[in-house]
Amino acid sequence: MMQRLAPLVVLALAAAIAPATAQEAYPNRPITMVVPFPPGGVADLTARPVAAAMEKVLKNPVGVVNKQGAAGAVGMQSVAVAKPDGYTLLLALSSISIIPEADKLFNRPPAFTVDQFAPIALISADPTILVVPADKPWKTAKDFIDDARKRPGQISYSSSGIYGTLHMAMELLSQAAGIKLRHVPHAGAGPALTAILGGHVDALASGPAVVLPHIKAGKLRALAGWGDQRIAALPDVPTFKELGYPEAEFYIWAGVFAPKATPEPVLARLRATVREAVNDPEFKAAMDKLETPVTFKQGDEFQRFFEADARRLAEGVRRVGRVETR
Amino acid sequence: MLEVAQNLGLGFSVALSPAVLFYAFIGCVIGTLVGVLPGVGPLAGISLLLPATFGMDATRAIVMLAGIYYGAMYGGSTTSILMRIPGEAASVMTCIDGYAMARKGRAGAALAIAAVGSYVAGTASVVGLMVMAPPLAQWALRFGPPEQLALLLLGLLVLAYMSSGSMLKALAMAALGLLLGTVGIDQMTGYMRHAYGVVELGDGLGVVPVAVGLFGVAEILATAGAPTPPAVIRPRLSELLPSRQEWRDSAWPIGRGSVLGFLIGILPGSAHIIASFVSYAVEKRLSRRPQDFGHGAVAGVAGPESANNAATSGAFVPMLALGVPSGPIPAVMLAALMVHGVAPGPLLIHNQPALFWGFIASMYVGNVMLLILNLPLVGLFVNILRVPYPYLYPAILVFSILGVYAVNASVVDVWIMLVMGVLGYVLRKLDFETAPIVLGVVLAPLIELSLRQSLAMSDGRYSIFLEHRIAAALLAFGLALVLLNLYTFVRRGLDWRARLALAGKGDSS
Amino acid sequence: MSVDRVSGIGLAALALLVLEETWRQRLPLGSLANPGPAYFPGVLALLLLVAGVALSALAGAGPGVASLSWREWRHSVAIFAACMFCAVALERLGYRLTIFAALGFLVGVIEEKPVAATVVFAGALALGTFWLFDTLLRVPLPRGPFGL
Repeated sequence: MMQRLAPLVVLALAAAIAPATAQEAYPNRPITMVVPFPPGGVADLTARPVAAAMEKVLKNPVGVVNKQGAAGAVGMQSVAVAKPDGYTLLLALSSISIIPEADKLFNRPPAFTVDQFAPIALISADPTILVVPADKPWKTAKDFIDDARKRPGQISYSSSGIYGTLHMAMELLSQAAGIKLRHVPHAGAGPALTAILGGHVDALASGPAVVLPHIKAGKLRALAGWGDQRIAALPDVPTFKELGYPEAEFYIWAGVFAPKATPEPVLARLRATVREAVNDPEFKAAMDKLETPVTFKQGDEFQRFFEADARRLAEGVRRVGRVETR
Repeated sequence: MLEVAQNLGLGFSVALSPAVLFYAFIGCVIGTLVGVLPGVGPLAGISLLLPATFGMDATRAIVMLAGIYYGAMYGGSTTSILMRIPGEAASVMTCIDGYAMARKGRAGAALAIAAVGSYVAGTASVVGLMVMAPPLAQWALRFGPPEQLALLLLGLLVLAYMSSGSMLKALAMAALGLLLGTVGIDQMTGYMRHAYGVVELGDGLGVVPVAVGLFGVAEILATAGAPTPPAVIRPRLSELLPSRQEWRDSAWPIGRGSVLGFLIGILPGSAHIIASFVSYAVEKRLSRRPQDFGHGAVAGVAGPESANNAATSGAFVPMLALGVPSGPIPAVMLAALMVHGVAPGPLLIHNQPALFWGFIASMYVGNVMLLILNLPLVGLFVNILRVPYPYLYPAILVFSILGVYAVNASVVDVWIMLVMGVLGYVLRKLDFETAPIVLGVVLAPLIELSLRQSLAMSDGRYSIFLEHRIAAALLAFGLALVLLNLYTFVRRGLDWRARLALAGKGDSS
Repeated sequence: MSVDRVSGIGLAALALLVLEETWRQRLPLGSLANPGPAYFPGVLALLLLVAGVALSALAGAGPGVASLSWREWRHSVAIFAACMFCAVALERLGYRLTIFAALGFLVGVIEEKPVAATVVFAGALALGTFWLFDTLLRVPLPRGPFGL
């Protein structure tokens, strides 16, 4: 009888010990970093060096999976409901705060909510800059804003999509400066750039990296930036904060998140990993090539940054409201 | 001229270096594979392999990625011709006449014509790219929303020529396809349309699951259960090559397809896959025997295949000359350039002559490599048809599901493919053509967006279409075409009545 | 009842369904100068309605519904069921198990091929494609229980 029970006892003991050992062994499987945007975009290009550097630190494969759709909602939702075991991470852009607000606006059940995620670290925070075609008469941001006040609704701008990052940046400016601009949404940042280069719209709020070559070539002119500080590559371009519009602050930031219920020790491990990863020389070299400065924030600092940004955007989206269809 | 020759010399010295040659070859092989596999298209292939290029030098990276792109256009025709299953969305039109040719025992000929047409188009359009890139790109930028709308409406007219059967049925299918294309988030206002809470439908159904489902899965559902399995075609070697008549028939379509595809490829915002649809319609309109289309017309294979290859080179024009993506694939390639520290932009050609000319030269080389890869492989591919169908079709299903799933790690895409498969099966039974549906799904979001963007630009005034000269010209052209067709239609009707009246008179006398 | 008549009625019914759905979802119509999200689908649904009605009205004498051959329906339903299984089980059972099971069903049960051939074929294809995509191309495919 004891002989028959013995294997059961061993199994029971093993089952009791196993979870404990499983925790010690994190990570023991490939980790997936979900990028909710198409390959080749800002999020994707930031995620890959991060994943590679994390892989070096953890000595465990970290793979990037693109799960695009609905301006990022599909990928973000998939991580919000994923198993919180530390094997699924998210590299999100600032739109993570915008999407649930937009859903609320349309009385839809939100695809996900911001509190379904546990923040791990901020990787980069590119402020957007305002560019206009070089042949337009506005030489400074003041010219632009004054003209917009004189002719409300006549100056057009393109964006990557309604309630997207480039749209919200412009909206924050409009609300701060009390001007009204005409929005022409496009299907992504690429078409938005093409539109302004072709002279079909008058302005664009864009991440600096993509427009820098065009500014240098003299096709576009940068008027001002939405950041806290001036951009290193464009030292002559003032910030809206300097010009007296401190509410016009917007960053296309990228940060790493995990599902909220991921156990604390795993989260701590991930945070330490990312901290080490951003100091990796190969990572730094990769980010340099992309001309994207690394802005690393963690813990309380990130939390504060994230919440302030989310508050600004939520208010912005609410004030935009639903697009009027007369 | 001398400068171009010198630059080409520089380019070839780069392109023919062993390392670059090697990566171009890898790109071409992978591209062909990607094209042959249903579901996985060039965008998926390039995106999947983008990370692998990070360790490489910039020239090698984009040479390989470009090889995947135009290689996929070569490979896409293979399954279309042999099994009526599109290897990727742009090959849908080749399914129609290509498969008909295969049924007639001319599979080898169709494959060879597709390969040669792709080669001629690819090479000719690289010449265009090389010589005219900067001015062409500048001109292409002038195509904004009003011009795009005008062009897309012209594209809609194409639908009238796509069907070999009833015009009314084609119209109904087009309307259905356009309607299916409106599923998803409305780009102008943010409302979700007909998505029923499924977030994955936010970007619409997606042309790849729809095309693979309507043509691939539907084909299998219809033929797999047939009491007599499809006759195994055992072509003889002499039948593998096209006859002289077939070569003659394909010459003009290849030429026209190349020009058409190149022009469509340059335009930003145009869906490059419509190049093959438009080419098919043009060939049918200009053919002396339009009744052949749908039953194995050589021009129906030569034209679309050339067009989609030319479109890939056209897509590189704005990318290289201006740093502006004309579609999602050039966008990924631009990202590849950025990752390697090469800043894309108007000064790229100037700052990086070795890269630009090396790229151009490698495209020549790549096209030759693909021709060499594909022509002898015609015999090999045709032998796929010898695999007993009960083993073949489950394998095709597995690849389709895998391909459609892998693109976005989304089971919803697989479901879309299956639903469209059933729809395609039912529609075939009811004698409807399914190609207009694919075109509709592609065109609907573009047409709606361009129209509403144009109205947003002009603050609601429709006169913007007259103020923009290019748009006005295109619309006038389209109107002229419609009127011309109406005229012919009416005349034929009057003719028929006159003949009937004469016959009546003859009877009564 | 000719086939065309039935198809026409079917299409018209679909169009009406779409119109009703658009109404129910309360999508704003907008105006001609500023079309809303309901405008384009609405116009298209009307077009489809007209086409469907025209088709069924002009149908007249054509092949009748009874002449349609659905002889292979059992086979097609089985194939479709296997595909549905794949879609449902792909992320639950993992790629390899799902494909192996589906292929085994299709080749072994439906096509009635010998067991040995079925197992070899299904196994080779399931494992081979997994290796190609997951291991070689580093495109993660879903893994099921036991990491399969």
